[in-house]
Amino acid sequence: MNMRALFGCLLAAAMSLVSGAASAHPHVWITATSELLYAADGSVTGVRHAWTFDDMFSAYAVQGLESKTKGAYTSEELKPLAQTNVESLKEYAYFTFAKADGKKERFQEPVDYFLDYKDTVLTLHFTLPLKNPVKPRQLVLEVFDRSFFIDFQMAKDSPVKLVGAPAGCQMKLERPNDGTASAQKLNEQTFLNGENSNFGMMFANKITVDCP
Amino acid sequence: MKPQLSPLARGLLATAAVLLVVAVTDAALHDLLAQNPFGAPRPAQAAEPEASGLIGWLLAKQSEFYRQMSATIRAAKSDGSAVWTLLFISFAYGIFHAAGPGHGKAVIASYVVANRETARRGIALSFASALMQSLVAILIVGISAWLLNATAKTMCKAEGAIEIASYALIALFGLRLVWVKGRTFIRAFQAIQPVPAMAGVPHDHDHHHHDAHDRHHRDHGHDHHHGHDHAHHHHGHDHVHDEHCGHSHGPTPSELAGPGGWRRGFAAILTVGIRPCSGAILVLVFALAQGLFWAGIAATFLMGLGTAITVAAIAVVAVSAKDIAARLSAGRDGGGALFMRGIEFGAASVVLLFGVGLLFGYIAAERTTCF
Repeated sequence: MNMRALFGCLLAAAMSLVSGAASAHPHVWITATSELLYAADGSVTGVRHAWTFDDMFSAYAVQGLESKTKGAYTSEELKPLAQTNVESLKEYAYFTFAKADGKKERFQEPVDYFLDYKDTVLTLHFTLPLKNPVKPRQLVLEVFDRSFFIDFQMAKDSPVKLVGAPAGCQMKLERPNDGTASAQKLNEQTFLNGENSNFGMMFANKITVDCP
Repeated sequence: MKPQLSPLARGLLATAAVLLVVAVTDAALHDLLAQNPFGAPRPAQAAEPEASGLIGWLLAKQSEFYRQMSATIRAAKSDGSAVWTLLFISFAYGIFHAAGPGHGKAVIASYVVANRETARRGIALSFASALMQSLVAILIVGISAWLLNATAKTMCKAEGAIEIASYALIALFGLRLVWVKGRTFIRAFQAIQPVPAMAGVPHDHDHHHHDAHDRHHRDHGHDHHHGHDHAHHHHGHDHVHDEHCGHSHGPTPSELAGPGGWRRGFAAILTVGIRPCSGAILVLVFALAQGLFWAGIAATFLMGLGTAITVAAIAVVAVSAKDIAARLSAGRDGGGALFMRGIEFGAASVVLLFGVGLLFGYIAAERTTCF
C-alpha cells in the first residue's frame, strides 16, 4: 500500500518533470554566418552577423508590411523592421558573447544593419563593434539564445570568416550538434541534476580563434 | 482504532509527500526558470538527435513536428491531401508540446490537487482551457492580422500584454487558493495539535458530552478507549475536532466537486486559457500569408486537442497520486487530514509562486521574444 503511494507520487513527480522539460522548445530558427573583423594591427574590432530566419518566422515578421510588389520586400521597405530588430536584440545582448583570453568583452550598439528578403526568408545583417578592440591570444565567441526560444545554427558552408586576421590565426567552430561540445550529454540526468540554469548553453555555437 | 501506521510507513508517506511537493515545485521552477528552457537539438539537421532517452526524444519530436508544419502548409496550397498531414502533425505537436506557454499543465495539475477536484473534472478543465487557448490564438490573429492587417510588431505587443495579464491572473488565482487552503491547513493543524493528549494525559477541560463522544468514538473505531476514565477528555478540548467528526478522514474529492463547481473551474480555465501558444500564432500568421487561413485554424484546434490530452493525463496522474495518498493517510486519525491539507496548501503555493515568478520576470518562461 505504502509502496503504491510512493510509486504514485514518484510517477506524478516524473510526469511533472517530463512535462516541465517539454514545455519549451525553439519557435524561431536562425541560420547564421559570422565574420570576425580585424584591424590592421591585428586586433579584433567586432563581429558581422548575417542571420537567416526560418520561413515561418519570416512570414510572421513581414506580416502587415507594405510592399510595392506582393510577396517581395526591398531592404528599403524592410528598414523599419530592421530597426525594430536591432533595438529589440539589445535586450538579449544580441545573443552574442565574446571572451578575450577568458575576459568578457562587451559590444556597442549595432551598425550597418539591414534586412533582405529572398526565397521567402528574411536575413538580418548587422555589425557589432566591440567596445574596446582587443588583441587576445585566444578569442571565444558564442552565439546562442539562453532561453532557447531561438535555435541558432551556424551555416553549413563557410559559417565563420576571419576578415583581415593576422597570419597564423587558427579558427575552430564547435556546433551544438556535432558532438564535440561537452554539453552534448542531454538526457534524463541533465534534467534531474537540476543544474539547468544555463540550459541554452548546450546549444551554443562556439567559435574559438587562437592567434600566435 | 484502526491499525496505526508503522514508523516505516509514516516515513514512506512523509517521503512521498516531500517528493510530490519537490517534484511539483521543481516542475514549476523549471518553467519559471525557463530562461533555461529545454529544447532539442534540431532533428531536421541531425537524423540522430544527440538528446537521448525519453525526454530527449520528446523534445526532438516536438521540434520535428513543428518544423514540418510550414512545409506542409505550403504543400497544402497545391495538394489538398496535405491538409490531412497538417492536421496530424498539429495534433502530434500538441501532444508533445503539452501545455507549453501558459503553463497550463502546471497550473491545472496544481489546481486539481489543491482544490480536491476529481479526475473527471481535471480532464474537463484541461480540454476547456486548451479550447480557449486555441480560440484566443485564432481571435488574435484573425482580428489583428486578417481584419486589421496589423504588423508583427503590433501583434507581438498584443501577445505580450496578454501574457502579462495571464501571469497576473495566475498569481491572483494562486493567491486565492493559498488563502483558502492556508486557512484550511491551519485549521487542520490546530485540530491535530492536542494529539499528545491521546496518550492518556487527562485534560483539565470539563464537559458533559459523554454520549456524543461515545458515538464519536465508535465512528472512529476508538472502541478500545472505552473503559478508560479519561477516554472522553481528549475529545472535549477542541471544538474544531467536533467539526471534523463524522468525516475526519477528509471528504473524498467527488463529494466536494459538487454543484457550483463550474464557476470555480471557470477561473482555472480563464487563467490557463487566456494565454495563447506562440507556436499557434506563428502557424496562423504563416497560414494566412499562404492564403490558407482556414488550414491554420484547423491546425490550431488540433494542436489544442493534442495539448488537452497531455494536460488531462497529467491532471489525472496528479489526482490519482493524491487519492492514493489520501486513502493511505486516512488510516491516521487527524494526522491524515493534516497531511492532505498540507499537500493541498503546497499545491496552492505552487500556483502562486508560478504566477508571481512569471509576473516579476524571475522567470522568462517562453516569454514571447519580439524582434
